[in-house]
Amino acid sequence: MEWLGSTILKTFWRPSVNVVRTRYHADKTRLVRRHGYEEKIWCGGLLPRTVGKPLPIPEYRPANVWTERKALFGQNDYIDILGPGNLHPVKTLYNVPTWIRGVSGHEYHILLRKKKMFAKTGSPKIRPTKWKELEKRLSFLYRKLNRKTKTGPSPD
Amino acid sequence: MTSILINAFKRLHLSIVPQIRIISSGYTTAVTTSGDAISVTQKEWKFPPVYTKPREVWIESLDTVEEKKLGLFELHPLVYAAVPRIDIIHRNVVWQQKYRWVSWAHTKTRAEVRGGGKKPWPQKGLGRARHGSIRSPLWRGGGIAHGPRSGKSHFFMLPFHLRIHGLTSTLSAKLAQDDLHIVKDLEIPSDEPEYLIDLIENRNWGPSVLIVDDTDIAPRNITVATENLPHVNIMPVYGLNVYSMLKHDTLLLTLSAAEKIEERILHHLHSVTNEQQAEFKLSQI
Repeated sequence: MEWLGSTILKTFWRPSVNVVRTRYHADKTRLVRRHGYEEKIWCGGLLPRTVGKPLPIPEYRPANVWTERKALFGQNDYIDILGPGNLHPVKTLYNVPTWIRGVSGHEYHILLRKKKMFAKTGSPKIRPTKWKELEKRLSFLYRKLNRKTKTGPSPD
Repeated sequence: MTSILINAFKRLHLSIVPQIRIISSGYTTAVTTSGDAISVTQKEWKFPPVYTKPREVWIESLDTVEEKKLGLFELHPLVYAAVPRIDIIHRNVVWQQKYRWVSWAHTKTRAEVRGGGKKPWPQKGLGRARHGSIRSPLWRGGGIAHGPRSGKSHFFMLPFHLRIHGLTSTLSAKLAQDDLHIVKDLEIPSDEPEYLIDLIENRNWGPSVLIVDDTDIAPRNITVATENLPHVNIMPVYGLNVYSMLKHDTLLLTLSAAEKIEERILHHLHSVTNEQQAEFKLSQI
């Protein structure tokens, strides 16, 4: 009889059930291990460097990109096209020393040219050490290139 | 009533038609028409364009801060409407940087560092490593092996026609991007830099302007005004180059400068250039 009553009650009266949280995650107490022990090492993340010397980052000083040299860079490079045609742009490279103006090549070739051009001047007498080093380097490069290096792929 | 309207229409029609006709007429005849406001100039070229139409640009003036169009001017499409090949422009810029570049970085070899003649300690019997010189590259304060040697040149010459193509590509790109302006002359009413700054600001010419004139000596007012403006520079025609055109935002040509550039480039495009195309030799300069 009791069974029947409860069955009827269940069929007629069905309350809507809402799950209500009464105990949130934040309210839960943690499991305490090693009670009474204080952690001495900081484990809260990175800290700003407040004590001691700051890291050696140089102060940012942007260069002036409109100095006269930079603003007029490349002027007269097309003088053989746009000019009257009797001047080569290499001739306008005034800030490059003459012995290397328009020269391309291996260190040995550039030094040979330098020696050839400086031999006529007073340079060997005025700067004897520099001259000696130049000649020494030349003889070293001569021996290296001619006796210790292959000159390229073989013809066959 | 209707007749009045028709007359008015006719008048309107008449005032518009001649301008259009003049603009779209053939380019072989040299016509200078001064209409109500503008003058249209058509040129007689030594090498008239065959397959492409000439490009038209406005002639402006620096007399007022506000932009005022004085007339129309035609530019040769071979020079100002070439295909803007950015790879060629890039090669030109690289060439401009490299052909003048000499690296002066220098290190001394073991032969050049002072001292190091004596053997530091006997070869055997001390239990130490064998050494022959205190200037060996292994030693602190010793020479540098395979270090940079002073006077390293990066010189090379870009082929002649690539340089011409670089110029035309850059000029065409500038014109297509509305960064190329043509002015009647470089006369400005005052020598105040503020006037020029206002003018550049008003006409949206961007942060920097390159002014190119046909003559070596520019008018006094503009030279005084640009003296303390590092981003506004004046150049003669023969000083024009790809790097400067790219560095400056706006390219300002005078009428005569534009014609001179056109004339020089067309001359080279239509002449035998075996001499210029030949390989660069040091003895030729």
